[in-house]
Amino acid sequence: MSSTLQVNSQQQTNAPVQLMHVSGRLDAGTVNIMEKALSDALAKGNKVLVLDLAELAYISSSGLRALLTARRAAHARKGDVLISNMKRSVRDVFDMVGFSAVFGIHENVEQALHAATKIAGPN
Amino acid sequence: MTRREHQHLVVPAKVDQLHRIAQLASHAAAEVGFDHVQADRIELAVDEACSNIIEHAYGGQSGEIEIEIVPEHNHQITIVLTDTGKSFDPDSVPDYVPCKSIDELKIGGLGLHLIRQTMDNVCFEFNVPSEQGKFNRLTMVKKL
Repeated sequence: MSSTLQVNSQQQTNAPVQLMHVSGRLDAGTVNIMEKALSDALAKGNKVLVLDLAELAYISSSGLRALLTARRAAHARKGDVLISNMKRSVRDVFDMVGFSAVFGIHENVEQALHAATKIAGPN
Repeated sequence: MTRREHQHLVVPAKVDQLHRIAQLASHAAAEVGFDHVQADRIELAVDEACSNIIEHAYGGQSGEIEIEIVPEHNHQITIVLTDTGKSFDPDSVPDYVPCKSIDELKIGGLGLHLIRQTMDNVCFEFNVPSEQGKFNRLTMVKKL
């Protein structure tokens, strides 16, 4: 039984924002998939990445580090990485390490996209 | 207190084994009587400990992790991880300090922080002598 992770990205047309639906398990075995998706999204010129974690079943410290690295890169261009739709188990890990106070966390994708568009401004 | 069946397995020290190992611990925790939240946390602690062995003890070299899970119904779960990789001093890893500022946040020690937050007893032993050579052992206990 090995871990699987999928990241499906949707470029927003009205702002330099990418919505990323993350599903599966984000651990040391799959973190390279997440890191590549995040760096590709930023390399396209996006300022804000919105992560939809509704289908993310699990995250370990490897995944947390990848998210923090991406957020620092986004901050460097006055952007951000916003989180939405976290499952309880994933939220629990965020709370344990204090990331809930560090990241912008939204209940649903719509709220997160609204916030992202405000931060990113128009294309 | 009833001592349930021990689980014992030896797996390659590779990241593609993490899911299997961690879920074994999670299922055993549920059998002991831990709720979903605690079982998920125990799964996380085992994942973090094995990830540390793979990354730091073996450093990308081939090796094995021996896992022993001792569930005691309505009492506690004990998880023992053994490896023959490099030893390290956990006290040399700086404590992870949660912080609201993204610039000040230092992410070293995140895995150890999660293990210590989750488990009641965490005991590292390094270079333990045996007939087969020296080994390292991590014993983690979570009481119900």
